[in-house]
Amino acid sequence: MVFYSIKFWSFFCALMIPYFTVFSKCAKAQNLWLLLGSLIFYSFADWRMTVLLVAAIGIFFYLGLKVDEHCQEQNEKAANRLTVLAVFLGIALLVYFKYLGFCVHQFNNVLMAIGFSSSLPTLKIIMPLGISFFTFKLMGYVIEVHRENMRATNDIVKFGLFISFFPTIMSGPIDNPRNFLPQLNGVRTFSWDSVGEGFRRILWGIFLKTCIADLVSGYTDTVLSLYFYHNTTTIILGAILYTFQLYADFAGYSHMAIGVSQIMGIKVAENFNCPYFAQNLTEFWRRWHMSLTTWITQYVFMPLNIAFRDMGTTGLYLATIFNLVVIGAWHGANWTFLLFGLYHGFLLVATMALDKRRKRFEKQHNLKKNPVWKYSRTILTFFLWSISLLCFQSPNIHSFLHIFPYCFDEGFGLPWTEESFQKVPALVFILVMMFKDYKDENRLNLHFLHSSRYWVRLVTAVLLVVCILGMGSLDGASFIYYKF
Amino acid sequence: MLSEVQDIFRDVLDNEDIVLAYETYSDDIDEWDSLTHIQLVVAIEKHFQIKFTSKEITSWANVGEMLDCILNK
Repeated sequence: MVFYSIKFWSFFCALMIPYFTVFSKCAKAQNLWLLLGSLIFYSFADWRMTVLLVAAIGIFFYLGLKVDEHCQEQNEKAANRLTVLAVFLGIALLVYFKYLGFCVHQFNNVLMAIGFSSSLPTLKIIMPLGISFFTFKLMGYVIEVHRENMRATNDIVKFGLFISFFPTIMSGPIDNPRNFLPQLNGVRTFSWDSVGEGFRRILWGIFLKTCIADLVSGYTDTVLSLYFYHNTTTIILGAILYTFQLYADFAGYSHMAIGVSQIMGIKVAENFNCPYFAQNLTEFWRRWHMSLTTWITQYVFMPLNIAFRDMGTTGLYLATIFNLVVIGAWHGANWTFLLFGLYHGFLLVATMALDKRRKRFEKQHNLKKNPVWKYSRTILTFFLWSISLLCFQSPNIHSFLHIFPYCFDEGFGLPWTEESFQKVPALVFILVMMFKDYKDENRLNLHFLHSSRYWVRLVTAVLLVVCILGMGSLDGASFIYYKF
Repeated sequence: MLSEVQDIFRDVLDNEDIVLAYETYSDDIDEWDSLTHIQLVVAIEKHFQIKFTSKEITSWANVGEMLDCILNK
């Protein structure tokens, strides 16, 4: 159920009217109502997976309580054991639903390569939607309790709502329980400010999705999957457009999820901060899919970095590479994602290793505020990211390894335009998106839809609606990150 | 002790303008992020000849809590 479908808005209105009327005096009733709504929303995709979700909520709720109990009793060993069990269960869930089929397939390939004819039966396991997102929330909660950063909640409704919260269960943002759970303590009252802000975010998200991501996807899908029919210029153009498509698709989803939550009076984590204005890849990863990178930094990178700290910079580099490989692997069971992670891991290590020299060089030549220097670095970062996305979107490693030599064999020429003539509005919309980010880069959310002048907000909203209805692709295409 | 820790911060983060207070948070210093945090920890451990546990390192919310932890060692 996508956020801009009639089905979703019918569901949302049916949920919100009692939420802000009948249940408006009681936080517990609002939480229970939202939990029921979230489970029904999840059941629309596949009701069988709701059983798994409810079971996972029950188990991790119990584990959280027990870990908390042991922490209070200063029984560190028992608390450690249960936290390890929770992490193991979370990883087991991911491995079974996401990676087991791939592992069996790879194992069979190895058997065949060494001459064995017998092989393990290929598994066809249905992957529950949003499993990568809610499993990380489940594990993160128990780890937070174990670190004594928060007390475990004894209200299973609140915990269940945190895990299954319908705007974010499919594709995040992956919220931290310390930010989310306290918001469920008091009643959420209807506020025109929150509703207005929520609708602004939703409108911008729908614009990104329908007028950019879905409009250029026809071109990028054709060019990148059938690259062997195209010349170098077309492939480069396809790769650049895919870079914008992915951002518009995922940031569009995030804006909508944040907006829908805001209408309900719940503030969830932000996921993007103008990533295409980052000046190096370290900074880029602090701005791209921020809720995932924050999670992995807190629960994977920091413990590893602490454990490796006596190894000096080698330890830091090892932890960084491992961290990025985990980010890559999180996206799915494919060698392309591992290579994507490794590529970023090594580039991040190179960025860190050269950091002091760069700073010295900037100081010597007074480059810190030089716009040419600044934007050259931004373009280089964008270029390095675009290359990695060629790997990210490839169906397999074989096809990625062929695209490069093929690309350079073909030579430059005029780009393929049969489809792209229809995409001219999308190119203008990409410029609009980047212009907004350019403005937000200096002063976040003070422009266009958030301007202090009423007429600017109104004109922007009307223009966006006209663009969406007149030129947007409204066929309800799925979001790229739904498959993760 | 605050001035000693401040010198370590200035040295590790390569910024002579850093001024620390008990209420200084990582958000207040541009260069203080998850990458440099452990470099700071290692430098502090070396300077004061102490060893922090991983729970301590992940629990500090600001400079004040870090200093309290050093004092308790």
